[in-house]
Parts: sequence; structure tokens; C-alpha cells
Amino acid sequence: MIDQATIEGIIRILFVCIIITAAYIISTRNLLTVVSVYSLQSLTLVGIALALWSLDGSIVLLEIAVITLISKVIIIPYFIATIQEKIRIKRDIEFHYLSPTTSLIISMALMLAIYLAFTRIMKDSPNATGGLIFFGAVLGISLMLMGMMVTFSRKRTITKVLGFLSMENGVLLFGMFVTELPFIIEFLIVIDLIILVILTTILSVGIDSTLEDYHKRLHRFHLLEEEES
Amino acid sequence: MIVELFILAILVLLAGTLLPLAAVSQDRRIVRTISLSCIIIASLLLACLSLANLFSGKPVPFTLYQPLPLVSLSFVIDRLASFFLLIIAVVSACVAIYFSEYIEHMEGQSRRNLLCGSTSLFILAMVLIVASANTLSFFLFWELMAASSFLLVTYEYTHDETRKAGIFYFMMTQLSSLFVLLGIIVLYVVSGSLAIAPLTAASTPLVTLAFLLLFVGFSVKAGIIPFHKWLPYAHPASPSPISALMSGVMLKIAVYGMVRFLLNVFTPDLWWGVLILAAGTASAVLGIIYALKEHDIKGMLAYSSIENLGIIFMGIGLSVIFTASGLPDLATLSLLGALFHSLNHAMFKSLLFLTAGSVVSATHTRDIEHMGGLAHRMPVTSALFFVGAVAIAALPPLNGFASELLIFISFFTSMAEVIPLYKVFLFICLALFALTSALSAACVIKAFGSIFLALPRSPESAAAREVPRAMLIGPGILAAACILLGVGALQIFALVGFPVPLPDMLLVSLLLIGMAVLTYAVLYFTASREVRVSETWGCGTLSQRASAEYSGHGFSEPLDIIFSAIYRTRTTNERKFFDQKNCHFKEGYGEIRLLKVFEEYLYTPIAKKSVLVALRISRFQNGCLDTYLLYVFITVIALIIFLGWFA
Repeated sequence: MIDQATIEGIIRILFVCIIITAAYIISTRNLLTVVSVYSLQSLTLVGIALALWSLDGSIVLLEIAVITLISKVIIIPYFIATIQEKIRIKRDIEFHYLSPTTSLIISMALMLAIYLAFTRIMKDSPNATGGLIFFGAVLGISLMLMGMMVTFSRKRTITKVLGFLSMENGVLLFGMFVTELPFIIEFLIVIDLIILVILTTILSVGIDSTLEDYHKRLHRFHLLEEEES
Repeated sequence: MIVELFILAILVLLAGTLLPLAAVSQDRRIVRTISLSCIIIASLLLACLSLANLFSGKPVPFTLYQPLPLVSLSFVIDRLASFFLLIIAVVSACVAIYFSEYIEHMEGQSRRNLLCGSTSLFILAMVLIVASANTLSFFLFWELMAASSFLLVTYEYTHDETRKAGIFYFMMTQLSSLFVLLGIIVLYVVSGSLAIAPLTAASTPLVTLAFLLLFVGFSVKAGIIPFHKWLPYAHPASPSPISALMSGVMLKIAVYGMVRFLLNVFTPDLWWGVLILAAGTASAVLGIIYALKEHDIKGMLAYSSIENLGIIFMGIGLSVIFTASGLPDLATLSLLGALFHSLNHAMFKSLLFLTAGSVVSATHTRDIEHMGGLAHRMPVTSALFFVGAVAIAALPPLNGFASELLIFISFFTSMAEVIPLYKVFLFICLALFALTSALSAACVIKAFGSIFLALPRSPESAAAREVPRAMLIGPGILAAACILLGVGALQIFALVGFPVPLPDMLLVSLLLIGMAVLTYAVLYFTASREVRVSETWGCGTLSQRASAEYSGHGFSEPLDIIFSAIYRTRTTNERKFFDQKNCHFKEGYGEIRLLKVFEEYLYTPIAKKSVLVALRISRFQNGCLDTYLLYVFITVIALIIFLGWFA
């Protein structure tokens, strides 16, 4: 068996992977890569859940790992990849409020602020600064906020959806280390996400547009068909 | 017994409100008569209970409805409440009698039922405010009063002028409510209770803040300068009986609020009194100066109300100064002066508004320059107006004189008591108060002379006839009250247990009558009996015309010149040309008009700034999803920072 220190070391490495994937989602302009990176981020979460399971032995963590693998690593990226094929958009170069560079700088400041805030919040708890739980909490919140930054700083709806999915990954990470959400809640969240992505697929007629002119597109549906043909 | 009478009066007023609303589509006189009769009956009940309580002096607390331990509709009828209930009762009864005839000559058919219902509701709200024992009831009925009075002001909403007045009134009345509400909230924070009860904390910054908020709230409602601007708009736009109710009673509700909170809640500082006195003095002087310039009869009366409310606030301010200086006798005297002037102003101002309404309905104009000669055509109305005019001019032996004399006595007596710095301040206020009284007399002479004396200056004025009897009975009762309150002032104060250093006005009246009789007797016996028939000298013109008369404008011209620094004018000169080099004149427009100082330099800039701020704030709601997500993002970060560093 692998000893506890090694597993903790693996988890710390996976934390770094999470940060890298989050930074990549924020900064990249290539849509196809975003989906792949999201899939990779989810896979990292699966790894963390399995590592925690091997430490803790809680069956819920194993279930979370399985369901995350099926939904977030396979089904959801598959759907989004299908949409991308249909709409044939490869790049997302329209931004609101924040450019990718600014987003990255803000993300770093954000992580630092959350680290300091949690140091103060958790100073009296047994899992004080330096522990896995502490880092898990800080990274979970940071990932959630970074995902939120993607939702408001990108104009393309498909990228917004990916930002939202990344946010949910942050919640999952936080939940695994701090709150231990019941499995049923995790399951329902995943169902929600799948439905969200399916709805996005159905509405893919407007997926290449920004949300602002989405309604206009719907109204000009026939015109759009003519343009495409 | 008092509680039962009070509840009965409330039920009768409710019936008076609901009946015309239920029969809103039926344009029948009987519906309106029943509603107005309800007001008269309720007024009689209120007058009985308030008189009984005034003499007994025992507070009667009771709760009508209490859904939660802290939340209740509680009332208390003490002497202060009874005094203001009496004001409401007398004026409402007289207005209802007058209204029963006046309303039948108004436009609006079945809409007049709504007017009756709203009037009853308005009176009901004022009664409940005065009787409120906690700030919750107080504010609830304060808002009800504001809403119902707005309906009354905008009755003739088809006129542009009325719509503008209505919006202006609505804004100001809501501003008043806002400040009162904030004051009440701060009081709750300080005391932890909604009861109108003495605060344990003396003068912390929060208590001072509560006072300032309530002071502004009540001042807006009372029309104290610089919050006065709604009065000259709302009064001319409203039906005359409503103006009488608003000026005679509603403004007194603001005075009641001020007095109630000062007496029962706060332990006032000296500077609070200085503030109230300064605001009152400014209102009194500027109010009457603006009234002198006004030629709209109801506008003039509105400005006169500002002046009189200023005098009442002067009395309250003096009372606060004396209380804080440890002079309780003087404080009581000046407060009695302020309260007595409230009662007197309610009587003579309602009388003047009602008679002004009669004049306007007979001549179809509000401009006093188009009236004249009505003393012959409307003798009873002119006599009633004369009584009101003498009272408002504070001439002995009528009630205006008695109450203003009480405040003057407070001023004179205080000169020997207070420190030199305040002595100078009080002396300045006294001088301005004396000026106000003199100008007030000039103003009513101008009004009475222009409206009732000389020859008619318009065909409508020449064709005017006396109004029906009901429109004379209401003002008649008020005129009798003015005489009674003046002549019997000393006796009335003695009866309620407040001996005041007033002269015996009954004796003064007898002396005045004796002097008048003596003068006439001397003239009768010494004058020549020779009859001389000749033309009056007409300035060299062959025929006497109304246009050659000494007009109201001419009468006030010397005063206009004296106060020209206050009556600032604005000259507008616009020219248009056919060509670009301005050689071929097309049309021009020139105007010299009185500058509306407060409106143009205070109200309009604040309104414009508010619109700008509102526009900037509205940019936050731009309909863009990304922006709203950004707000959520910022809020979450703010929460994390708050949790980390401040929680």
C-alpha cells in the first residue's frame, strides 16, 4: 500500500494541475482546447477524489469519482465537442470587462486574498494553515471564482457554459475537502449540469452568438438559414 | 366614555368615507349630503370628547389592535391631543357645512362623491395621527393623510396647473414622510421602543440626528421656509374648502408632531430652540413679504399661512430656549402662545379660505385686480372676510392679537433673563416679528380693499351675487369663534388652568366699542348738517372709472420698493430674425418676472442633480447578463474579505 505522505504529495501535485487548468481555461482563445482542458480538470478531480478515498475509505468519495468520470470527463465534453463541430467555431476572441491577461493577474490576486482570508477564518480550527483541507478550501473557492470570471468576461455562450462548469468543479473540490456534501446532492448537481449542456446543444442555433443578440438571431431564424446555406 | 366617543367618531368618519365610494357612480346629492353629515356628526363627537378631556386633564390610553407584542395601533387622548382634536373638529364641521353647498356648484358630477369620501378619509387620518400613542400608528396615519390629501389637491386634474401642483405636492409630502420615517427609525434604534415616550439618553449624536430628521419632516409639512414651495402651488389648485382644511388643520398636524416629540420624547438642547426660532422667524418675514407681492387671493393666503406657521414655530423655538435655559414659566407661556396661535390661525385662515372660495365662485377669478366692489354685492361674505382679516392682522380685540401678544410678552420678559448673546439674537427675532405683524396688516388691507371696496374692475365682479346660506353659516361659525377666542382669551386660559399675563380683552373690547360710540356721538353732534352735493374729484378726468382706482399692485408698490432686494426680477429678451446677420426682425419675446429664488436656486438644482444621480444609478441596470454576473462576483469577493478581516 502507498503510505499517507505519498498520497498527500499526489494530492498536492493534483492541486497544482487544477490551478494550471483553471488558468488555461481563463486565458486560452482556442475553444477546442478549452473543452479538452475542462475534461482534464475534471479528470484531476477524479484523481483527487480517488486519492482522498484511499486515505479516508469513504464510499461516497468513490461514488463521486465514478460519477464525475462518467459525466464530466466523458458525457459533457462529448456534447460540447458535438456542438462545436456543428457551429464550426474554433476561437473565442471577444471579451467583456477583462482581457485574458488581466483575468490571470486578478486570479493570482484573488487566490492570495482568499488564502489570507481563510488563514484568518480558520486560525482557530484544528485544520489550520498548511493542511490539505485548508488548501482544498482555498483552491475550491478560487476555482469557483475563476469560473465565474470566465462567465462574465467571455462573450460566447459556449465559453460561458464552460466557465459555469468550471465553477461547479470548484464547488465539488470545496465540498470534497470541507463540507462533505451528501452524495445525492452531488448526483443532482451533475444531473443539472448534464441538462444544462443538453439544453445548450438544443439551442445550438444561437450558440455561436453572444447572449445579447441571441434573441435577434432567433427572430431572424430563416435569414440565418439562408446565410448558412 | 371618552374611548367610546372616540371610536364612535372614527366609525362615523369611516361611514362618511365608504358610503360615497360605494355609490361612486351615482351622481346624487343625497349621497354627498350624508357623507358630509357624517363629518359634522363626527366633529361634534370629537369636540365633546376633547372639551371633556381638556377640562379633566386626565390622559386616556387605549389599544385598538395588537397583532404582535411590539406592533400595535395604540392611542392616547391627553390634553395636547384633545386640543388638536378640537381644532380638527371645529374646522371640519364648518368646512363640511360650507362644502354641502359649494360642492354642488363644482364640476365633476359623480366624481364629487370621491371628493367627499376623500375629505372624510383625510379628516379621519388627521384624527388618528393626533391620537396615536406610538410611532407606528403615527407614521401609518401620517402616510394616510398624505395620500388622501394628494387626492384632494388633484381633484381638478384636468387642469395643467393642478397636475403640476399635484406632482409638486406629492414630492414634497413624500419628502416629509421620508424624513419623519427616518427620524422614527433612529428613535427606535436609540430607545428600542416604538412608544412616544421620554428617551433616557439625553443628547447623543443619534438623538440629535433623530430631532433634525423629524424637524425637517415636520417643517416640510408645515411649509417652513425653505420647504414651503408646495403651499403656493397646492392651495390655489385645490377646491377652497380643501385649502381651508389643509391650511387650517393639516399644517397644525405638523405643529402637533413637532410639539409632541419635543415635549414627550426629547430633552432639547438650547441650539435646537435657536434653530426652530431662526427657521420660524425667516418663514414669518419672508412669508409675509411674498404674500404682499401676490395677487392670486389663494396664493396670498397660502403665503400668509407660511408666515403664521413661522410665528407658531417662533413660539415653539422660544419655549425650547427657555426650557433649556431653566426658565419653565416663560417656556410654558411661549408654548401656550404657539398653541393658541395654532388654534387661532386654524379659525381665521379657514374663515378666509372659505370666504375667498365664495368670492372666487362668484367672480370666477382668483386675481384680486379683477375684483372690487363686492362689499355691496356680497355684504355678509365681506363682513365675514373682514372679521378674518382683522384677526389675521392681529388687531385687538380679535384672537390673532391675543396669541401674538402672548408671544410678544414672552420675548419682552425673556430680555432680562437670558445671556447677552442670546439677548441680541432674541432682539433681532423680536424686531423681525414686529415687522411681520405690520406687514401682515398691510397685506390684509390690500386684500380687503382690492376685493371688496371701490368699484368692480371686471364684468364678473359687477355681476357677483351673495352666496347661498350654507356657504355663510360655516364661515359664520368660524368668525364667531375668532371673536369669542379674542374677546374671551383671558377667561378661556383661566378656565383651562393657565393664568396668563394677558389684558382682559373683554374690557378692551368694551373700551373700543365705547370709544367708537363716543367718536360717532361727537361727530354726530358736532358735524355740520349742511348737505353738499358734488362730484368726487376724479384727478381731472371727466368720468370715474374702475381702471383709475388705486389697485392692489399700486398699494403694495412702496413696500415692493423697500423690499426690492428680496423681490429680485429676471429679464428675458429673445429675438428672432429672418436672416443670419440679424438685420430683418421676425419676432421677439420680452418678459420681466419675479424671480422664484427658492425654486430656481434650490429646488430645481436639487431636482436636476437627483435626476443625474438617478440616471447614473440606472446605468447599473443595463440588461446585460455579464454585468450582473460581475456584480455577483464582486459581492462574493466583498463577502470573503468581510469574513476574513471584519467578521
